[in-house]
Amino acid sequence: MNLKAEVLLCFVLGAVAGSWGFLEHDSWVTVELQHSLVANSDIFSFRGNVTIPSLNSGLANVDQPTLSNSDLDLLKKLALNNEFYRLRATVVYSNGAKSQFITSNKACRLLQAQLNDVLWVSLDPSGYVTGITVAQDTVPAAVECTQEDVDKLVESQFSTDVLIRHAELAPVPDTAGFIQKVEREREARERGEVRDNRGFFAKYWMYIVPVVLLVFISGATNQDGAK
Amino acid sequence: MQEKWLLTGLSVALLLLGTCSALYEDQIKKFDWRGVNVGALKQSRVDLNHFQPRILVSTHEGVVASLCVKTGELVWRQVLEQKPRGDIKLLQVSGFSDDSSDTAAAPMGSNLGFDMLTVQGHAPALVRGWNTNMGALEWEWSMMPLNTERAQEALWFYSRSVLYHVLPAWRSHLEVTAYFASSGHSTGSTSKLMASWISPESCSLSGTFYVCVDGKQLISLDLVSKSGQVIRTSLEAEPKGSLKAMAGLNGVVIVDGNLISVNKDQSVCPGLQASSYTVGSFNYRKILAYSDLAFGIVKINAVYLDNCEPVTEIEQSLPFPAHFGSPELSNFDCKQKRNGEGKSCLFLFSTSSESIVAVQQGRIRWSREEALANVIDSQFVDLPLADTEGTLESEMKGKAGDFTSFERDIVSAFLRRITTQAVQIRSLFLHVIGLGPPPTDTQRAGLVRDSFGLHKMLVLLTRAGKIFGIDNISGKHHWQLYLPNVSGFDNDEQMRLIVQRSAKHFPLQPLCTILGKDAVNGNGVLYRFNPITGKAAEGGLIQLDYKIKQLSLLGETEKDFVKGILLLDSSNKVHVYPQHATPLADGMYLYTADVRTAELAGYFVKYAGGKLSSTHVWNARLGGHNSEQQIIGVSGKNPIEHVHSQGRVLGDRSVLYKYINPNLVAFVTQAPDATHKSVLNLYLVDVVSGSVVFTITHRKVRAPLALSIQKTGLPTPISMRKCDAQRLVTTIELYEGKTQANNSVWSSLQAPPMPLVERQSYILPTIVETLRETITERGITNKHVLIGTASGSIVEMPWHLLDPRRPIASTTQGREEGAIPYIPELPLPTESHINYNQTVARLRNIYTAPSGLESTCLVVATGLDLFVTRVAPSKTFDLLKEDFDYILISIVLVALTSGSLIVKHLASRKLLKQAWK
Repeated sequence: MNLKAEVLLCFVLGAVAGSWGFLEHDSWVTVELQHSLVANSDIFSFRGNVTIPSLNSGLANVDQPTLSNSDLDLLKKLALNNEFYRLRATVVYSNGAKSQFITSNKACRLLQAQLNDVLWVSLDPSGYVTGITVAQDTVPAAVECTQEDVDKLVESQFSTDVLIRHAELAPVPDTAGFIQKVEREREARERGEVRDNRGFFAKYWMYIVPVVLLVFISGATNQDGAK
Repeated sequence: MQEKWLLTGLSVALLLLGTCSALYEDQIKKFDWRGVNVGALKQSRVDLNHFQPRILVSTHEGVVASLCVKTGELVWRQVLEQKPRGDIKLLQVSGFSDDSSDTAAAPMGSNLGFDMLTVQGHAPALVRGWNTNMGALEWEWSMMPLNTERAQEALWFYSRSVLYHVLPAWRSHLEVTAYFASSGHSTGSTSKLMASWISPESCSLSGTFYVCVDGKQLISLDLVSKSGQVIRTSLEAEPKGSLKAMAGLNGVVIVDGNLISVNKDQSVCPGLQASSYTVGSFNYRKILAYSDLAFGIVKINAVYLDNCEPVTEIEQSLPFPAHFGSPELSNFDCKQKRNGEGKSCLFLFSTSSESIVAVQQGRIRWSREEALANVIDSQFVDLPLADTEGTLESEMKGKAGDFTSFERDIVSAFLRRITTQAVQIRSLFLHVIGLGPPPTDTQRAGLVRDSFGLHKMLVLLTRAGKIFGIDNISGKHHWQLYLPNVSGFDNDEQMRLIVQRSAKHFPLQPLCTILGKDAVNGNGVLYRFNPITGKAAEGGLIQLDYKIKQLSLLGETEKDFVKGILLLDSSNKVHVYPQHATPLADGMYLYTADVRTAELAGYFVKYAGGKLSSTHVWNARLGGHNSEQQIIGVSGKNPIEHVHSQGRVLGDRSVLYKYINPNLVAFVTQAPDATHKSVLNLYLVDVVSGSVVFTITHRKVRAPLALSIQKTGLPTPISMRKCDAQRLVTTIELYEGKTQANNSVWSSLQAPPMPLVERQSYILPTIVETLRETITERGITNKHVLIGTASGSIVEMPWHLLDPRRPIASTTQGREEGAIPYIPELPLPTESHINYNQTVARLRNIYTAPSGLESTCLVVATGLDLFVTRVAPSKTFDLLKEDFDYILISIVLVALTSGSLIVKHLASRKLLKQAWK
């Protein structure tokens, strides 16, 4: 009997693991970041590595070297021309599978944010990455950069926050809750426990107002008659 | 005080009156009309000698129907099940000399046991007997084949009250089973006929003969003969086209327009060459009629089958309008009583544009436009202004124009004003003495804009490539166009109908464009036309030299007010049409979605130095690990929608701001799942930044799915079927929060990253086919959701009922405005069925468009049938009731004014008298 249950448990666990990929037994992924600092080119250079040891907790280790002066100059040029800063992220899963994502944002905004950016990693229900987006904080900023704006850049190292967006489970119609609510109301009515503790006026204003109005009206007409 | 009281009473009474929402009985068919279709013709039988002349048809849409001979109207129609179950394989009408066997020779009402018989579907195959006078189902039996996959290719034929089921096993053998047609009892065991020469592309069944092409010869086998002897017939040349069976002649096939008999008992007349043939009788003799189209003229000829002499009485030719495409003679019949003359013959054609055309006495007697059974896109186009209003309009436009040169503007406006009035006086004078310009064609047809903008031209694009211009009030077909050799795109995308210029820019004519794929080389095709007249405009058909992958609409150009079309080709290059709109493409974003791999890609378009370039800026993968997820639904916002209010007032009087992202697109993917049977994921993706804003997953849920999204990213009702036969509607609303980041301009690159998501699911007691939200001119009117159900009714559901913020627990204080307590099941009251008893068979899509009135939204529902109506979600608050009593109100007004005058006079007289006292 016991053995049977164990076997069954194993089987159930296996089935769940088979279908629910990574999230079920919390997995890790690494993301290699490469960026393109020349407009419209397909040459990407290394920017850094991100390791997410636990997809469920969403903590990440980000390791990014300082940008060289030539790279910074390229970045400033991109910003001056209002070009896109393009980032290529290669996600490596724990089973060795790889997938590549491209995301872009305006180089100008990156400079204005002093190389602070947020890497949003969206996951599908089974824990596979659906998209990686690089974004900056939503402070209103100038749309186009001037030389002045560009010169304000003091940082030479990216500081990146990694945030994970999990998939959520859709709601199901709350039939049980609704039936319970109806039951509760019915019981309350049967017991006559619906105690109305509102004030006298709050309860009966709809009867009082017409009476008062009628009195007023008749008073007004009487005055006319008296004249 | 008294007045106030009265006013309150009046408004309460008005409110109570306003709650009635359904149509009144006398309003039936007043605002709506329905077009009833059957679909493209498959088989037909014309019968003029029945006591009740009729045409029996079966169609590719799985419909059997009887048509009136004189008008082509439906006498009855039976819509069978959806494909593949409703796919009609055989239509057999009793009492017709159908093949050379004697089935037909049997007199009417004989013991055949049926009037008309149909075979449909393959697993199970259903055989049904119909009463042809009323269209009633009399009996049916079914047959479940052993191998359901192979049964898809099964063929059926009827011979001497026995129905034969032929199941080919390619390159091996044929399995033939015979059943008594009316009972379904098998007459014996299945016989296997060895035939290693059969292959899927080259074979056909002609009567009882199974015929295949093999190089320069035909190999055939009589399936009912005992001997099972294989007959070989040599051909003069290898056939170019495929083999077609000649209906009505046993063992005769059509090879490249020639008739060839493989049956030695059935001779054919040599030397005939035509595109289509059919067999019938004339003067009690069997004749073979054939027809050909050459230079827009259809010729119908006929020969006697027994001696091959031409039947001169029947010969006729007639011009055939180009919008019908190429005709194929389907069937004909002649009245037997009127001997000797060919005038009483009716020829029925099916055409490549899916029309049914009846020809009699050398002219087209009637035609049915069955392409309308497959509408794939629709647009409501404003009608042009009447000439006088048009000039006035252009004057106003000049005034509103540019304010920098104010001085000159006043002078020019004054001059324009003077000239306009002079022109108006002249035209009035000419009109009075009867010398005015004749009204234009469109004016004569009554196609002039009305004051409320309710009268519009409904342009419908159909799958067959035929385009219709239909009056949305009367339902009259004003024009038709046919584009042969144009088909839908790859990636399951249909052709598109785009309005490039609306009718607002008088005197420029409106302009529509069809985008499609050339059926031959797969390159893009543009067809530009005037939607009011249906005539080609600005070049008409344009063949592009690249394949279209994605398209988008640009803003209006200043020169000719044309909205440019931005095209992305298969090598990710961008093009703009027309070319002078190219600068407007600068800074545009495009996205593509591959249905099979569920991969999305985003592109940025840049215009610099006279050249367009595109940069790949983002991608997303919704396919899961092994691309097992496939996209089954994509829905973007409606570009003409307005967002009236930016927020929502909560119970505690604070404001929750809506997440108004115009670039949000919903994608739905589906994949089978080991534990949950089927998993459905909904992704909301910002297609400019590529950010996957929100992901939600439904377990144990599968398609059919209907998806609808509104501009606010707001209501996203999706509807789907749960495995346990429950139907769900899920709604999602996105909110930015209690503060708004940037309330003037939306930028997806600086978007608030995490919107608040409100969601709720409801049970709907019906199967939903399609969802569409109503849209009005300014977006002030309440939103309703139109739900198209599988039973063909359209239900108008207020958005309040689908609101994801309906509270579950009832709190006595602080309830939000207009929030109804949560009830899991949504009601479907009969008053909210906007098409009352006018059911739309096979409802597939609902399109909505704003009218000129803020309260009213125009609706067209398409499917097998077409239903056009209008809805007023918040009642017609800007319109007087049509039974408004103008006379009473005028009498009251006049009486009150005159009364007050008289009383004033009397009062002054009284005062005067009092003063004299």
